[in-house]
Amino acid sequence: MSYVEENKKTLERFIEVVGKENVLDSKITKEKRFYVTIKVEKLRDAVTYIKEKEGLFHLSTITGVDYGEEREVNYHFNRPNLIFTIKVRVTGDKPVVPSITDIINGATIFEREVYDLIGVTPEGHPNPKRLLMTEEWPEGIFPLLKKWDVKSLRKAVDGEEWT
Amino acid sequence: MGLVTWARTRSPWLIHFNGAACNACDIEIVAVLTPRFDVERFGGVLKGSPRHADVLVVSGSISRKLKSRLKRIYDQMPEPKFVVAVGSCANTGGTFQDCYNVMEGVDKVIPVNAYVVGCPPKPEAILDGVVKLLKSAGY
Amino acid sequence: MSDTEFSVPIGPQHPALKEPASFLFKVDGEVVVDVEPRVGYNHRGIEKAMEARTYIQNLYLTERVCGICSNAHQTLYAINVEDVAGITIPPRAKYLRTFVHELERIHSHLLWVGVAAHEIGFDTLFYYVWRDREVVLDILEEISGNRVNYAWNAIGGVRRDIPSDNIPKFQKMLDILAERTKYYTQVATTESTITNRAAGVGYCSKADMIRLCGVGPHARASGVNKDTRRDNPYLAYDEIPWNVVTTESGDVLGNVVVRVGELVESVGIAKYVLDHLPDGPIREKFSPMQKIPEGEAVNMIEAQRGEDIHYLCSKGDNKPYRYKIRAPTMANIPSLMVKLKGGYIADIPIVLAGIDPCFSCTDRMVFVDESKEKTWDMTDDELRRYGIRWYANGLNK
Repeated sequence: MSYVEENKKTLERFIEVVGKENVLDSKITKEKRFYVTIKVEKLRDAVTYIKEKEGLFHLSTITGVDYGEEREVNYHFNRPNLIFTIKVRVTGDKPVVPSITDIINGATIFEREVYDLIGVTPEGHPNPKRLLMTEEWPEGIFPLLKKWDVKSLRKAVDGEEWT
Repeated sequence: MGLVTWARTRSPWLIHFNGAACNACDIEIVAVLTPRFDVERFGGVLKGSPRHADVLVVSGSISRKLKSRLKRIYDQMPEPKFVVAVGSCANTGGTFQDCYNVMEGVDKVIPVNAYVVGCPPKPEAILDGVVKLLKSAGY
Repeated sequence: MSDTEFSVPIGPQHPALKEPASFLFKVDGEVVVDVEPRVGYNHRGIEKAMEARTYIQNLYLTERVCGICSNAHQTLYAINVEDVAGITIPPRAKYLRTFVHELERIHSHLLWVGVAAHEIGFDTLFYYVWRDREVVLDILEEISGNRVNYAWNAIGGVRRDIPSDNIPKFQKMLDILAERTKYYTQVATTESTITNRAAGVGYCSKADMIRLCGVGPHARASGVNKDTRRDNPYLAYDEIPWNVVTTESGDVLGNVVVRVGELVESVGIAKYVLDHLPDGPIREKFSPMQKIPEGEAVNMIEAQRGEDIHYLCSKGDNKPYRYKIRAPTMANIPSLMVKLKGGYIADIPIVLAGIDPCFSCTDRMVFVDESKEKTWDMTDDELRRYGIRWYANGLNK
């Protein structure tokens, strides 16, 4: 099938453009599912490249995952017969990724959601407010982090145990 | 019973409040209006404003943001007023019981007069709930 | 902000399907100048809850993300888990899943046509369409036991079979539906009550739609030829002949045309599936506390409102480590803002209804007059009636 070859070539060109030393990991789980982990600094260049040259201009969503020490942010792009996921990993108490909203305008809402739930701030985002939580939600509490379970989260937000 | 009470029982004006529901109960509530189930033969109409309504039909597990809105709508309704909680989520929180943003049940926010069970309850069950409520309210 | 601009909040009783969402509109006279969406009223914390439940328990939970796309979310969840666990479902299960997937699309689009008609005051059409929708719900009730939330999927296949004696009856019911959808196609495109309110209203160009990553019938109404069933085929869609429906107009009438066109296509697909149902078992074994290997999976399906994408990360346990649901309406919010800006206040209900919003999927109307420092609330019913009166009095001329 032609798309199998085309997808593999896309991955090779991508690694070449971003630079072998900046690609930390690349995985092909199926013919149409590619995952590439790159260094955070190269994120904007990588996204610009695949948008303009590889036909991957449709960003489906951005996912944040909490691995304890690190937090991973996945950018899922797709085109017919390929879902191409770019992963970056960030560390620290207040991790930051560069915002890609000016490159992919549709990313604005997904970046706010990642900030709201996982606490990774999109630097350079035009409107970096929380998306889903109430105005009274306390600062610095990001519900989807593994350190919170439902009981401790409710206690931290409401102050006393719910009945 | 007096004329006023008779009139009240025969024309329950409903208002529907969606409290962070998944919409399954809501589409069954709207289906109650449609020709097959037809709440209008009982005199019920779905109104838009709480000031015109007798019965507040609530669906959904109430999320944190909506607690104060629900209270406000309840306060705006004139007496006598009744509340029907439709669906498992409105009764006890349903399948979202241990979710951080959910109040577990409408009765944690406002007093409830009738609980309709189901996920979602069929339109016949919702109708049954409203009619039974009026009968049992001493009217 | 000039002296004559003021903002109008609507919500959180949403104008279209009474879902809680709030929009802050800044208006100048009757024209909307800017709009800010405030979502999060429907946020229940599902993704966190999924991390505390086993894979089988999560089947129940994913179904209740949204009551209208319930089977779509559950099917995608099952596909993701089977992907990581390395399970291939039998062919009959694939076709049965496709059947219910399409039936749900039919019921959702019929529901939408009714709601859109109600928004513009055309209640007769609303009652007709919802009565015909009962035909679909009857089929669903007969095969699964419930009108909404069918619990159709298991991990490894489907939970119930369709006995072959029932198939001729369903074929007849689908024929009735095919007749009715042809009638609605004609009504939707020629009836002046609809075209006056929907043509030219809420426009978004194809370039903007692509730039803002719009999905689903909302994007296809602007000419973006994108449909996950053809571009990234799943279930049985690469074995069934069907067509993608697009149109170029980019306005609410385009939304109507695309959805009614898809209704016709879906009835055709459902009939084809019933005719070509392969024999064989309907599910693979998957035990309640089964652990799946470490790995991750990302998959997409074409839900009723557009491309739905889920991501699963497993660490080898019997519970998911991270499950992410991005439902279609969230991706459509930026392009919705483009559609609302520059339009009239009276058009807000129909434009909002036009994207077929499902805020339950997404999250989980204030009008502010800053010059006069006046804030007034409109309930959804008042806004709807405002729009109907405004057009009836010819104020748009």
